[in-house]
Amino acid sequence: MATFVVLAVVMVVGALGVVLLKQPIHAALSLVGTLLALAITYVTLEATFLAAVQVIVYAGAIMVLFLFVLMLLNVQDAGPRRSLPGLRWAAYAAAVVTATAIAVVAFWDGRPAPDPAVVSLHLQGGSAGGIGDALFGELLLAFHLVGVLLLTGVVGAVALVQRRAESAHGAPKGGGLGAGRDASGTKAHALGSGGRR
Amino acid sequence: MNVPTEAYVALSAVLFAIGAMGVLVRRSAIMVFLSVELMLNAANLAIVAYARHWAGFDALAGLTGQTVVFIVLAVAAAEVAVGLAILIAIFRDRASTDVDGLAEVRL
Repeated sequence: MATFVVLAVVMVVGALGVVLLKQPIHAALSLVGTLLALAITYVTLEATFLAAVQVIVYAGAIMVLFLFVLMLLNVQDAGPRRSLPGLRWAAYAAAVVTATAIAVVAFWDGRPAPDPAVVSLHLQGGSAGGIGDALFGELLLAFHLVGVLLLTGVVGAVALVQRRAESAHGAPKGGGLGAGRDASGTKAHALGSGGRR
Repeated sequence: MNVPTEAYVALSAVLFAIGAMGVLVRRSAIMVFLSVELMLNAANLAIVAYARHWAGFDALAGLTGQTVVFIVLAVAAAEVAVGLAILIAIFRDRASTDVDGLAEVRL
């Protein structure tokens, strides 16, 4: 229980940092802390493979992508919206209280938690083998659809950020080479518009 | 010693509410996007907690729940790639990602 309380405090503080911190870089790093605490929470829930994937994919790859774009675009969050001064804090407090109340009332019933020994026996610590059995068995269709979705996402991302006029003439054949050229073009262009501003 | 499932779900609800607040309060589109990531992770936490709960009755249900989270992770990765590409395209056009200034995007 003590582990859960510590992790919960870290995650809630990190989440509040995401919402409240002014600097976007600080908010992103705060989210990294929350995601790492979430990975440890997965371990306490006997999902060790998911914890590893959470660290590698989410706290690693996705957040690095976020930080890269943040530094590329040099985003500054402008001041608060025009509203009553106390309204924002009232909204924060109301949201937290409401969520806690919903969670407690809707989910806190008297049924006992499942036997930890049985859970450990069934989940096998959430190992990659068990995950693979479910992934290639019951969820095989979802696995295939995710493959199609990832391909669509890659093609969509490249199509969205490539420059239209120049690259239409000398479109490169190699995918890796083209992606590299598009990335450098994006960077130069973004920096240019930042300078104009 | 054994933390009840309700505690994890309550934590998930709080994290989701904080993320929703961020979506409503933040002005920069990329910060809205970070808050959406927070909401996605809150939902994942609830799924993993329920997977552990159901694993007490059915082994396959528990592992299937964890695998669903795995698929959600892949979908989130695709979403981040496309979303950040859209943000870069918008920033290139307007030199700003302020969501209040994007009124012409709506139908």
